[in-house]
Amino acid sequence: MKTRMFSVLCQNVPGVMMRISRSFTRRQINLDSITVGIEPSGLARVILTFKADDRLAEFMRRVLARAEPIIDVEVIDPERSIAREIALLKTKKLDEEQLWKVVELVERAGGKVLENKGNVLIVELSGSHEHIEKVITELGPDILKEVARSGQVLISRETC
Amino acid sequence: MSMVEMTGAKALFEALKAEGVRDIFGIPGGAMIPVYDALYDEPEIRHILTRHEQAAAHAADGYARATGKPGVCFTTSGPGATNLTTGILTAYMDSSPVVAISGQMPNSVLGSDAFQEADMLSIMLPITKHNFIIRHVTELPAIIRLAFKTATTGRPGPVHIDLPKDVQVSKADLKIPAEVNYHKKIKLDPDPEDIRKAVRMLVDAEQPVIYAGGGVIWSSASAEVVTLAEMLGAPVVTSLMGKGVIPEDHPLALGMLGMHGRMAANLAVSECDVLLGVGVRFSDRATGDVRHFASRAKIIHIDIDQVELGKNVRVDLPILGDAKRSLAAIIEGIKLQVKKGRTSAWLQRVKRMREELAPRMDYDEVPTKPQRVIKEIMSVLNEDAIIVTEVGQCQMWAAHFYVVKKPRHFISSGGLGTMGFGFPASMGVKIARPECDVVTIAGDGSFLMNSQELATVVENKINVVSCIFNNRYLGMVKQWQDLFYQKRRSGVYLGNVPDFVKLAEAYGAWGDRATRPSEIAPKLREALKCGKPAILDIPIDPDEHVLPMVPAGGRLDEPILT
Repeated sequence: MKTRMFSVLCQNVPGVMMRISRSFTRRQINLDSITVGIEPSGLARVILTFKADDRLAEFMRRVLARAEPIIDVEVIDPERSIAREIALLKTKKLDEEQLWKVVELVERAGGKVLENKGNVLIVELSGSHEHIEKVITELGPDILKEVARSGQVLISRETC
Repeated sequence: MSMVEMTGAKALFEALKAEGVRDIFGIPGGAMIPVYDALYDEPEIRHILTRHEQAAAHAADGYARATGKPGVCFTTSGPGATNLTTGILTAYMDSSPVVAISGQMPNSVLGSDAFQEADMLSIMLPITKHNFIIRHVTELPAIIRLAFKTATTGRPGPVHIDLPKDVQVSKADLKIPAEVNYHKKIKLDPDPEDIRKAVRMLVDAEQPVIYAGGGVIWSSASAEVVTLAEMLGAPVVTSLMGKGVIPEDHPLALGMLGMHGRMAANLAVSECDVLLGVGVRFSDRATGDVRHFASRAKIIHIDIDQVELGKNVRVDLPILGDAKRSLAAIIEGIKLQVKKGRTSAWLQRVKRMREELAPRMDYDEVPTKPQRVIKEIMSVLNEDAIIVTEVGQCQMWAAHFYVVKKPRHFISSGGLGTMGFGFPASMGVKIARPECDVVTIAGDGSFLMNSQELATVVENKINVVSCIFNNRYLGMVKQWQDLFYQKRRSGVYLGNVPDFVKLAEAYGAWGDRATRPSEIAPKLREALKCGKPAILDIPIDPDEHVLPMVPAGGRLDEPILT
């Protein structure tokens, strides 16, 4: 099933996240990521990614558009948008060989080592969802202790 | 109106009066006392003290369905508020504008498991069109008005407001806004191109059928449905919610569609070449197996809710818009077309189906057959009487056999199928329409689910009549067990209690029993004239099934007949 991305503009009122998330729960859809930011207008913009076929995706667009606090639902076309995700990674206590391997890999991936305390590294990565997935997979569970990810934020390339 | 210092409770009533509210159903409690204290000074507001909060919700719902205007109910926090849930979901499933207001523990203790605290924002969220919690008294006037606007705009639905006690008592300089800023844009006018396409399809149809639902009633578009049907020579079938859209004795009215629909309605939909669905949601109980539903037809679907378009069945032409405006536009379009005599064969077929498949009701057996009971009730009531039903076999007998002549004169819990809805809903109907006879067609199982409201109707002189189709069973479950579970009647026999006549008398209501078919009409006349709420206990044949029946997921043209 295709990954879908919605950018949902809504009132910043109590219960709005629950209203959105339960619409998916009820139809047995897992949300892959949710990010929320407050716009200068005071409205909230919620970015959702999930998997669904065409029919279900269109149905969910309508379900969200109907909800009272929701002002607009934009279906984001990945081809016509820019998506980014940030991840913070904490490693296990590494030996020297592992440590240099990680530093090299992270630098190659455009990331940054933020901290090294007693051979435990904290690393920042950013880029596309797929890019971050790839780096995390490469490092693997033998190296990584903890992963914190922002979920995808995205913005359409449309100019008006 | 300029700013006036007042409490939240006082402002609540000012806002309710601005909405034209005159009747409220409810029960007070600790977290709602300040509101009830303010009610003490509101002689214009009539408060009906129900005996259970679920009944208050159903009564408000009945009021809304009978008038098209919002019904209002009050409860306290915690159990009072949670008792609303079945009633609120019932209203949501049938798109009924109920505004429910519950007390809540003060803001300062929310989330601490305080006495009678329930997280109503979360509990009500999935079962309302929208819900609010009022955090500060200054928000109150606008939220109350917004609640009413939300409940009644576009597709109607229930709204719940959680009102913490500190907000009820705090004072502020407040003003009830004359207008409310409602941000949702509801598309009322259909796309003209869609209308042109619909006109073309309908004019070209050889065997058109109109399928009308509750949305037509909420949109006050019944007259447009009848006009269009007559212009096209198209028979009209309805959903349960659509009963009354067209007078059911009209030559083009084929009655209800679906699992317990009329044979003629089910066959017409199976045979038609264009089906115009309007204000319906193509529920599974109406369509049966969707793969075979109207399989020869192009389907046009008019609805004001974009989510409904194409949700349950394939739709060839979805039209987003208000039912009345869309139908009016189609009627205008058709007026410009040259009329063909193409539908005469179809009209003959419709006439034949109507006559040959008319259901039989003239049984003389004792215990009385339910079909005969409906016939007797119809013989007594005029077309202004409002029929309310409980849920189950009694409901389907009423839906199948009762000939309803006007919209808002058949009131029933459709989507949720809530047993215990009918009797309390009938209270709301009677309060809203005191000039009409209001008769509930009840089963003995359903009636007992809210029979405590006998106290409410007697105390408040709400003279409704309940006809109890008494077979001592949870009849619809028994029917399924008889038909699909080898007659293994499990958990459905209700026993020989109570004596419904004595039950009525215990509350000071009128009660009598009609054991023979010939006794029903005279005793019902007496019940209507007795000047009290009344119960007419009618023992019926416990083995009678609601037939024909299309099994769940079956084809409309392949019903069980015997």
